[in-house]
Amino acid sequence: MSIRHALACLLYLLCLLVMLAGCTSRDHVTENTAGKHDNILRLFNWNNYISQETIEHFEQECQCRVTQDYYSDNEELLAKLAAGASGYDILVPTGNAMDTLIHQHALRELDKSQLPNLKNIDPHYLGTVFDPANRYSVPYAYTMTLLGFNHEKLAELGLPTDSWAIIFEPRYLEKIKGRVTVLDSQRELMAAALKYLGYSANDTDENHWQQAKALIIRAKPYWAAFSNTSYIRELAVGNLWVTHGYSNDMFQAAQDAKKTGRRFSIDFAIPREGAVLSLDSMVLHHSGHRPDLAHRFINFMLEGGNSAELTNLTGSGNPNLAARPYIQPEIIANTAIFPEAAQFARLEMLEDIDHTRRRLLSRIWTEIKLR
Amino acid sequence: MNKLRLTRWLVSLPPTLFLLLFFAAPSLLMIVTSFRYPGEFGGLAPLSAPETATAEGDSGLYGMTLETYRFFFSDVLYAEIFLKSFAVATATTLICLAMAYPVAMLIAQSAKKYRNLMILLVVLPFASNFLIRIYAWMIILGPESAFSHFVNHLLQALGFGPVMLLFSPFAVIVGMVYVHLPFMILPLYTNLEKHDPVLLDAAQDLGANRWQRFWLVTWPQSLPGVFSGSALVFIPVLGMFAVPDILGGTGDILIGNLIKDQFLGTRDWPFGSTLSIMLMLAVLCVAGLSTLLARPRVSR
Repeated sequence: MSIRHALACLLYLLCLLVMLAGCTSRDHVTENTAGKHDNILRLFNWNNYISQETIEHFEQECQCRVTQDYYSDNEELLAKLAAGASGYDILVPTGNAMDTLIHQHALRELDKSQLPNLKNIDPHYLGTVFDPANRYSVPYAYTMTLLGFNHEKLAELGLPTDSWAIIFEPRYLEKIKGRVTVLDSQRELMAAALKYLGYSANDTDENHWQQAKALIIRAKPYWAAFSNTSYIRELAVGNLWVTHGYSNDMFQAAQDAKKTGRRFSIDFAIPREGAVLSLDSMVLHHSGHRPDLAHRFINFMLEGGNSAELTNLTGSGNPNLAARPYIQPEIIANTAIFPEAAQFARLEMLEDIDHTRRRLLSRIWTEIKLR
Repeated sequence: MNKLRLTRWLVSLPPTLFLLLFFAAPSLLMIVTSFRYPGEFGGLAPLSAPETATAEGDSGLYGMTLETYRFFFSDVLYAEIFLKSFAVATATTLICLAMAYPVAMLIAQSAKKYRNLMILLVVLPFASNFLIRIYAWMIILGPESAFSHFVNHLLQALGFGPVMLLFSPFAVIVGMVYVHLPFMILPLYTNLEKHDPVLLDAAQDLGANRWQRFWLVTWPQSLPGVFSGSALVFIPVLGMFAVPDILGGTGDILIGNLIKDQFLGTRDWPFGSTLSIMLMLAVLCVAGLSTLLARPRVSR
């Protein structure tokens, strides 16, 4: 009897102990493991945003290991960091998320003497509003938010493919009803509507927002869905004919359609009214343990050949001038990946808006969804 | 006697602590959060932020405010989205009930050696990831799928125009019902299994037909199972955001999507907390109402 009692007590204490252990911070754990495996560069990167060969080359060159964790949008990145994810040497946020990180003092300043290859970057992509002197960031790659479409279908229907009108004007939409998706993103869709109305993508005038809302609600009955990722597959198999989305996703859809031997081809273009440009940059997180390796990695990625591997893999835009000779010629020739000067002038990067504006925009968005 | 009581306390202490730590504390945090100002970069504004308070003409005692509640009640929009979510949850619950009841009865009435296998089959879908199963529905309901072709041919034969199955309220309900069906079957089964067959024999002897036996004997006894199953379906459906996100069309926003948006896209934690609190209050009202209804009526 007493033995059973003692055993029960022991078990009980054990349970409590496990519970308490669960409550203690996990920082200790990460620090301990980081101490053991010193020679590791930890990346926190977008899904599918670096080629495996590039990683292997770098591992050989630095005699170290590279580990990666992934996120699929900036909000996820910020949320995970806010929730205490740490130990990352390099992050690759888009402009406005980087802005947030800079204001949160979450980034480490770069030592440019360790980055001789910075000269390779096209000056157009340096000195953005988010980090005017590039104290924290080095451009990595960019995407544009544009229109992807089924080339044969739209030619057959005689519809224009060079304007946002195709997703906002009922006279075009009635021919492609239920075959159109737009991004499920407040800022991106508003930006497209504002651009179509002739305003800036960063316009915060409430009247202009109301006009954009009216435009969106008028077009909504013709759209199949708001979609952030599933449109890639649906476009590639022919279920969708026009999609609002990111240039590298469109590139993937086009590749998929070609590889599977479809009877149509997927094309994508920057609307003539202009579009949103998202520039992703490499930055150093303050929690990283190996800033020295991180600098080496950034300099390595700035080499033309290494940088080109990413573009050849994903079709993302490349701000690196030295990479041009290594990029496949048909990608270089695609103006929806490497825009011409006139198009480039009409691209805008999304800037952050304050919390009252965010709340207002969220209400407008809810109304759009509900009506 | 005293010893028994002590053991009871010791055994129930860890789960109680667990609930306190991981339910009560976060709920309190949420309530406090709903009265704060959002921070510019997500999270919350610092507690002593007089400059934001005065700038917005709010009395703003120590950075606390009623702003989010005012915002919530200033527009019927949010009431509409609550109503809609409740309608979807009710429809899902009723459909689940209608589909689960026969299945649960079948399992409860079949030979004992098959029961465990059948329960296993009901639970088996949990072995694969929830998102993968929802994506599978995307393929099944897609416009070029065999199922879609079949439905549209049928509709055409009956003289109707073709319909789009995917990205519609129909797809949302299908997804919701599919995901939550086991949660209705299991409590119903555990209840129905315990019914004493002697009661049915007695009813038959007293002249009750098949329908009367079900309606007057089986159904009233199964009500606890019905209510617990309904709660297990209704409440998760109210908060679900993934299914409408993936299968829904342009109008299928539910309260769960709105709350998720507040924490990610809009970075407005106070308003997200307010919405969550309102949802909790609404669920409590529904739960209270249903316990009132489920209370055994005093015989006349």
